[in-house]
Amino acid sequence: MIKLNPETLKKIRRFKQIRRGYYSLLFLAVLTFLFLIGELLINSRALVVKYEGEFYFPTYGAFHPGTDFGLPYNYETNYRELKQKFVDDGSNNWVLLAPVPYSAYENHSTIGIYRPEPPNAASRHFLGTDTTSRDILARLFYGTRTALLFSVAFLICVYAIGVAIGAAMGYLGGWFDLFLQRVIEIWSNIPFLYMVIIIFSVIPATFSIPTRVSILLIVMVAFSWTSMTYYMRTETYKQKTRDYVASARLIGASDFRIVFKHILPNVLATLVTFMPFTIVAAITAITALDFLGFGLPPPTPSLGELLKQGTDTLRTAPWIVTSAFVTLVVLLTLVTFVGEAIRESFDPKKFTVYK
Amino acid sequence: MRKLFNSVWVLVFAGVLAACSDSGSGTEVRDNSEEVAAFYTANPEKFSFRTLADIPADLVWENGMEQPDIGSPDAKKGGTMFDYMPDFPRTLRTVGPDSGNAFRRFIYDNVTLGLAGEHPNTFEYYPELATEWAISPETRTVYARIHPDAKWSDGEAITVDDYFFTFYFNMSEHIVDPWYNNFYETRFTNITKYDDHTLSITMAAAKPDMASYALGLRPTPQHFYREFGDDFIDRYQWQFPPTTGPYVINDGDLVMGRSIAFTRNDGWWARDNKFLRYRFNPDRIQLSVIRDPNNQIEAFRRGDTDQIIVNTMEVWYDQLPDSSAEVANGYIHKSQFHNRRPRSSWGLWINSAQPVLEDVNVRLGIQHASNWDLVIERYFRGDYTRLNTSRDGFGEFSHPTITARQYDIDLAMEYFAWAGFERRGADGILVNAGGQRLAFTLTTPYERFRDLLPILREEALKAGLELRLEVLDFTTGIKKLDEKQHDIGFVSYGVGAEMYPRFWEYYHSSNAFDNAFLEDGSVNPARQTESNTNNLESIAIYEMDQMIEQFDASSDAEEMKALSHRLIQMHHDYASFVPGYAQDFFRVAHWRWVRYPADFNVARADGTNFDYFVYWIDEAMRQETLAARRSGQTFEPQIRVYNQYRELQ
Repeated sequence: MIKLNPETLKKIRRFKQIRRGYYSLLFLAVLTFLFLIGELLINSRALVVKYEGEFYFPTYGAFHPGTDFGLPYNYETNYRELKQKFVDDGSNNWVLLAPVPYSAYENHSTIGIYRPEPPNAASRHFLGTDTTSRDILARLFYGTRTALLFSVAFLICVYAIGVAIGAAMGYLGGWFDLFLQRVIEIWSNIPFLYMVIIIFSVIPATFSIPTRVSILLIVMVAFSWTSMTYYMRTETYKQKTRDYVASARLIGASDFRIVFKHILPNVLATLVTFMPFTIVAAITAITALDFLGFGLPPPTPSLGELLKQGTDTLRTAPWIVTSAFVTLVVLLTLVTFVGEAIRESFDPKKFTVYK
Repeated sequence: MRKLFNSVWVLVFAGVLAACSDSGSGTEVRDNSEEVAAFYTANPEKFSFRTLADIPADLVWENGMEQPDIGSPDAKKGGTMFDYMPDFPRTLRTVGPDSGNAFRRFIYDNVTLGLAGEHPNTFEYYPELATEWAISPETRTVYARIHPDAKWSDGEAITVDDYFFTFYFNMSEHIVDPWYNNFYETRFTNITKYDDHTLSITMAAAKPDMASYALGLRPTPQHFYREFGDDFIDRYQWQFPPTTGPYVINDGDLVMGRSIAFTRNDGWWARDNKFLRYRFNPDRIQLSVIRDPNNQIEAFRRGDTDQIIVNTMEVWYDQLPDSSAEVANGYIHKSQFHNRRPRSSWGLWINSAQPVLEDVNVRLGIQHASNWDLVIERYFRGDYTRLNTSRDGFGEFSHPTITARQYDIDLAMEYFAWAGFERRGADGILVNAGGQRLAFTLTTPYERFRDLLPILREEALKAGLELRLEVLDFTTGIKKLDEKQHDIGFVSYGVGAEMYPRFWEYYHSSNAFDNAFLEDGSVNPARQTESNTNNLESIAIYEMDQMIEQFDASSDAEEMKALSHRLIQMHHDYASFVPGYAQDFFRVAHWRWVRYPADFNVARADGTNFDYFVYWIDEAMRQETLAARRSGQTFEPQIRVYNQYRELQ
């Protein structure tokens, strides 16, 4: 068992006391877990197939052509139909489907034409279907997963760059600080949205989706790390003049060690406070880009794409915009609650009295 | 995206306005009459002056008066038609930069007069500006007499000089429009003035439809363009020139960025013309900018606009269903009109110059792996029809028997196997012996197909083919296709109502490569891709070139039909175009007071901007309907399909 220092334990206790933030965090943790095992919950591939005495687990791994299960085609098995066939045959074979047996890509219409269908538990379209009869829950789920993972990666990258440069500016000061400040001022005046649009218009579609997501991430990080440096710089300036830094320097600690071992833990409060807001910003940005059509290529599911579809069919299919909107609101609210709770638990002044 | 660019436009717009006011204040009054006369003298081959005695005596003069009326004798003049435009035009010029916008149809294409028009039902000529004309195929010349009463909207007479000026104007570099420069330079070899109202126009090539180019020529008001010069673009940016058409824009009716209103020219000389008298019925046409498609529908449902062309299934069936209150109560009528005109070539344009795609078996496999029937049945709800070739709707010039290849997974995989793609990889996509996956990028410059293309993709996956979708913004997408960077493109070129299809632009090797072939007809190994042409399939077939050249040189309609069939067959065998869908109708939702003839419209109408103006507004009925809506009184619902011109598929 790792021993946490009493200061940290106190913060954790304080955090737990703030019910709203604590439960939000728990909820987010459960959600993240669900996202990680998403393929087991929402998938057109079956979880388990028992066919002629053998077990198959198609969820992960290579595809199974229909011929594997005695079907007359050699493309990917349609497990919903397979299940029905086994039931009709009355054989010992069986199929266990995911709770939502649809992928985010397939057009599955129950009425013969592609148009939005309202939520229907009987057909297992729990949130209905979109304009081309794709399951909204599946698209929402995988879209949100991308957004959330993206924002976490974004957070890590922005913090790594922003903290390192900000701390260096504050600690080294002088010409280095002055010069970098000017560079950042100029850099942050380049309109980020235009840059993304320009860059994405020249990226070939042959790039795989993970590559495109990475490029989007790099571009967004490249234009977002600057704001972090301001806070880090001022905080480091403040800490630099404290006695403990002077003592560290006296016993011969290197600059690197002083910044990362001594100063950084002391400015943690600032960093932690901004975390949720950075995540919110990332989710909002990627959603906005998708909404504008500059995010991930179709047919990749995304929150922004659903929102756009929803606003186009506001009157005829309100369930599309509702599910996307509610998801976004809930997600952002939860993250904000967590953020507030963290800020408060890191605040040394538990009771503040204004005089 | 849209919002963003709109705000950019506002800035550009402000800049243009500033530029206009600058140039307006400090310029001198000019008169270019002498320059123009000098130009005619300097080009004696193009511009000739003769006397009436020089007109050949053996000409057969026609006047087209036997053609049937256009529109309905019941049409009432008067009223205001409220309509929208999705964007404010960037200029009122009809040539030069930014002039190729949809708005131009309102001030030029659909309203101004040529010498004679092509009758939209019989496809024969009827008189517009000319009283009579004669076609001489041997000399490639068309003679015409302009109506002596013909006048511009400002009262000046329309004479042969205005036709001469059309050439001067369109051949000038001042208009900054190379397409028109080229068109007027190469298409016509001569224009001759016999007297103020008699002229002849000689064409460069004796094609079966050559008369349509000469008779379709429109005059340009020389008296108005007296100051025409190198600042044409700025000077005439927002000037509405005198017109031969029925509507003018009065002072104050051009509200920048918001609305434009057309008012009937009361003194229009052609108002009693047999073929124009039942058209152009409203006294006023009010166009307001409504950008968002949803708002366009809402504005119509509210009654702010009188009628709307409905292009999407969602609007027709879901947003404005037959059961909606306005339709069921008979306030809004829904009409579906099947027209007869060349079909846009929506489909997959396969770039046969790309590696792998150069193999005809791969292309054939793609043909059979494209499930357009499913798209038509499910996405377009069975309303569209399958396009069979890239040249459908040209009457006898279209191929009579070829049908598009059907979706067939086994056949597709057989063709792919021929090309070496024999087994499926772990993800179900076919791979060849070298481990290469059967995957291509499908590019489209149209954002609106975001939802359609994934359907094709899902179906192609079943045949082991992966289509990577690339939905680009219009400019970027077109550029990529123009540079032949694409694997497969999903586009269509707009097709005018022409007599016969064009082949040279799309299938001639000179539009695919520079020097595609050596002297002896073998492939030139050093050939380079030719950019900015319509040959998106990179077709370069020596025999095809010969046939296209023969087709273009031919003046015999029967020979051209035979060649056309052979060319279409050859293109079909080459399999580089997967025919998609064709829309053989347009749909209009209109309020009850917008009246249409009993047969609704003319065969050639395409609906855009209500192109033949055969409707009329019944203002009394408007009041009656609005009152009925308030009081809850209802009428018989009117949902009609007019399929008298429908071609059997």
